[in-house]
This record gives sequence, C-alpha cells and structure tokens, in this order.
Amino acid sequence: MRRCLECAKKEPDRRCVECRYFVQPSPLRRVPSPPVRVLLEDEHGKQYPAHILVLNPREFGLETEAPVPGRYIIRLQESLWVEVAGLPFKGKNNVHVFEILCVHRKQGTAPRLSNEEYHLLTGSAGELVEEISRHLPEHLQDLVREKLLAEVEKSELINALKVGKVMKYEAGRFRYLSGQADLDLPMEEAEKLMRQAIRQSEHRREVIVSADGQKVFDLHCVPFDHRSGGLLAFDITEVIEKERKMHQQEMQAYREAIAAVTGGRLYLVNGEEMEKVISEGTELARGEVRQTHNIPEARRVMREALPSLDSRRRHAIDLCLSEALTNALKHAGGGWWQARQLGDTVRIIVQDRGPGIKTSELARATLMQHYSTKNSLGCGFTLMLYYADHLYLNTGPSGTTLALDFTVVPEDGSKQDKANERG
Amino acid sequence: MLKVDVHVVEGVCRIVLNGELDVETVAQLQEAIRKVEEHTLEVDLSGISFVDSTGLKSLLDISNEWRQKGGQMLILRPQPEVAEVMRLVGLDRLLAQNTALAGEEREEQDDRSRHRE
Repeated sequence: MRRCLECAKKEPDRRCVECRYFVQPSPLRRVPSPPVRVLLEDEHGKQYPAHILVLNPREFGLETEAPVPGRYIIRLQESLWVEVAGLPFKGKNNVHVFEILCVHRKQGTAPRLSNEEYHLLTGSAGELVEEISRHLPEHLQDLVREKLLAEVEKSELINALKVGKVMKYEAGRFRYLSGQADLDLPMEEAEKLMRQAIRQSEHRREVIVSADGQKVFDLHCVPFDHRSGGLLAFDITEVIEKERKMHQQEMQAYREAIAAVTGGRLYLVNGEEMEKVISEGTELARGEVRQTHNIPEARRVMREALPSLDSRRRHAIDLCLSEALTNALKHAGGGWWQARQLGDTVRIIVQDRGPGIKTSELARATLMQHYSTKNSLGCGFTLMLYYADHLYLNTGPSGTTLALDFTVVPEDGSKQDKANERG
Repeated sequence: MLKVDVHVVEGVCRIVLNGELDVETVAQLQEAIRKVEEHTLEVDLSGISFVDSTGLKSLLDISNEWRQKGGQMLILRPQPEVAEVMRLVGLDRLLAQNTALAGEEREEQDDRSRHRE
C-alpha cells in the first residue's frame, strides 16, 4: 500500500503498466494494444467505463473512475461475465489492480479465465475489432466496436451460422481462433492476401474460389503490425448462388418486358442463343470498325453485296448498320460486323468487346428516345427499333453483340413496305 | 462524303449540303458553321442522301446554339428518307414549312448570292 502511495507522490508520471509491482509478471501477462474497453457494473447496476491496460488470467489492471475498493461485474459476452474487486493498495490515481474473484459462464463458474477467454481479451477477435474500428471516425468507433465485438467475439454465433472462421496470422503461420473449424479454406491464397495486407498495412479483401470451383470464400485480412494480422473468412457459396439465380430471374423479367414493349421485336438473348443467331445462314459481307471512316465504307460494302435492294430497304439497312457501328466505336472503341442471308432475311451482326450495357441501364438505353450514356442524341436504338424487323441483343462485361434482321422485299413488291405500315 | 457550300443573301446564311451527313462528315459542317455570323441560318438538305443520329445531333446542337444567340436555324427540303428519320427523333420541328419563317421566296435570289468559299 505504501509503495503505491509513495509512487503517486514521488513519481506521478510513472505508468503502472510498466511497474513490476502492479499486475504480477508472468508468462501470461499481456498488455493489450490498444487497451480493451469494458464496462464495470456495480451491484446497483451503475456502470463505469474502463480500459484494460494490462492483465493476466487472475488480475486486470484497469483505468477507471469506478470507486476502489468495490466489487463489480464485467460482461465479456452474453453468457460470460467476470466478478472483480478493486484493490486500493495496488495502483494510483484512477489506475488500479482488479482481482478476478469469479468467472461465470454457461458451463459453470471458475476462479480464473480459461485460455480461450483469455485470448479473447489479449489478441484474436478483440484485437481484430480494435484494429478495424481504430480507423473509423471517432463518433462511430464505440458503436462499431460494440457491434463488432458482439458479432465477432460471439464465436458461438459464428459456429451456429457455420459460415465464418477467424484466424490469426503470426510469423508465417495461421492460428485458428474461433468460428467454423472445419471450413476448408484455400490457405495459400489466404496467406498471399495476408502478406499483401501486412506489407501495405491496410485491410485487404478478396473473393476466392476454391480449387475445385465448388466453394466461394470472402476473405478479409487485417494487418496488426509488420508480422501479424487477422483473417476473417466467410463461405459465401450459397449467397453467390442465390445472387446468380436472382440475376437470372431479373434478366428473364427484362427479356419479357422488353420483348413485350417492343412488340416482340427486341430480344435479349444469352451467349448460347446469340451463338446460334450469328451462325445461321450464309455470309454476305464482313468488315471492321476502328475509325469513323470505316462506317461509310461498311455502307458501301453492303450496297455492293446487295445491289438489287429497293431504296427504302437499302436506307433502313444503311442507317441501322451505321448506328450499330457508331455505338461500337463510341462505347467500345471499335468492333466487327458481318451480314448474313437467311432466306428472305438479311441479318446484320455487330460485335464489340466493350464494357457492355448495365442491366439497370438496358431498358433506358434501348427504349428511351433521347437517352444516352455518352451524351449523344441517343436515338440510335430508337432508329434501329423502328427500321429493323427483329433485334437480338447480348450484352455483358466482356462485350456486346447486336443482330438486326431485315426482311428483304421480293422483287414483285407483293409485300407491303413495313415503314409504310407503321408510319 | 460531304460538300458544304455557304451563301449569304440579305443577312440570311444558307448552307447547302451535298452527300452524306454522318459521324464521318459531321465535323465539316461544324467547321463551316463556326464562321457564320448571321442570325438566320438555313440548312438545305436537298442534296443529302443519308443522315445518321450523329448528323441529326449536330443539327440539333446548331439549332440550340442559334436559339441561344437569339437567332434561328431552319432546315430546308430534306429527301423523304431523311425527313422520316427527322420525324422519328422529333427534329421535324426544325423544318422550314413547320415554322413561321419560310425560305421559299429567297430561293430565287440564290444565283445572285455571295459565295463564301
């Protein structure tokens, strides 16, 4: 008692954490960095915030305004709480040793923390949460910390969900901390990602597919220092599968809606269907577009390939070919085209390897007259929808293919001009 | 291919286009327009056999520019195919016969017009 009182007078700046007299030195003594935040609760339910500055499995060195001596409860998890008593003769100012009297857990009580509980406070998930929340704006830190601690530290919950695994990486090795132990992670990739995170000292996240292609993992690596970090892994296979199904359903709904509003003229087709569309019939002509002058060139080639076309039909094909090629040039920097003949149908196909049209923009890009993502008049599609008999569109992140069908009017003129019918 | 002729008669600038007005040639029209100072601009499309959406867009831009300056742009005599495309995208409102100022009377004066190029 005297020692701490004297210390307070003689060496007010000396920190208790560094004092061998404070929390007994032992191989298990730990100084969590940053200090772990907890709440002390007295018998009346009054709460005092506290920081665990140093600990061993029997004692906490706490910085708190809670009165000493006094008995308190610290809730670490829902079904895990610790009864402590502050020792007035060990510590000074608002820093004191709190002896662990009893650890209450679902399975019973004990006079000290188990290894697992101890790790909870000294490293692992607690550390991970601290690390994650440290970079947040101050007003969010406590909130996020609280939530994350509740989520991540509840290994029972993660176990129940059977989706996640928490590991610590240190000196080139992963150590299992909590969660689903039998989750078969691609450790090589995880280590690569972890090393990147440590090297760049920033959070890294990657979605990785297992070697057999059966599982998809969402990996989060958080560096702690230059040699260690935390790994959070989630099995998201089912989530991905669900998303894929939802996307398919969404596309199907789009297909039906677009086919309906265009009077069955515009079809969104998948890659397989498009393969069929672009290989039917026989080739009439083909070309490439890299610069604007390739577009009038393409029209000329088409006119030569179909010399006996009536003027309205020729104009329709000229215009649609130009619009499709202009789109490929504008949005993908270029592309290829070909014309094919199937009976009395001429099919113009334009392909590019651009970024594609997003599903969310598809309806607007294809149907709204003056809409365009590239600030042009945006009427290209309107014109193609008017002049072509059928359009097939396949678009995705690896490119866009558009096929346009024109019914070639027989020489005798028995078939009435479509433009006249609509006009 | 596009041929652009500019005539100015009694404060009215008439641009006569021949050929194709499209993504390839539209810059020629824009270049010619930059030198025009007259408040009334007429674009004669009778010699235009083909116009695409890029060409239409440039006509719309020129029209908007002239309106902002307090002037006016009119489009004259499009061929049937071109007129149809203009109607489809709503540019038929720029056609001369749809506006109060018709350019028919001045056509006869073309021969006496000052040639700019």
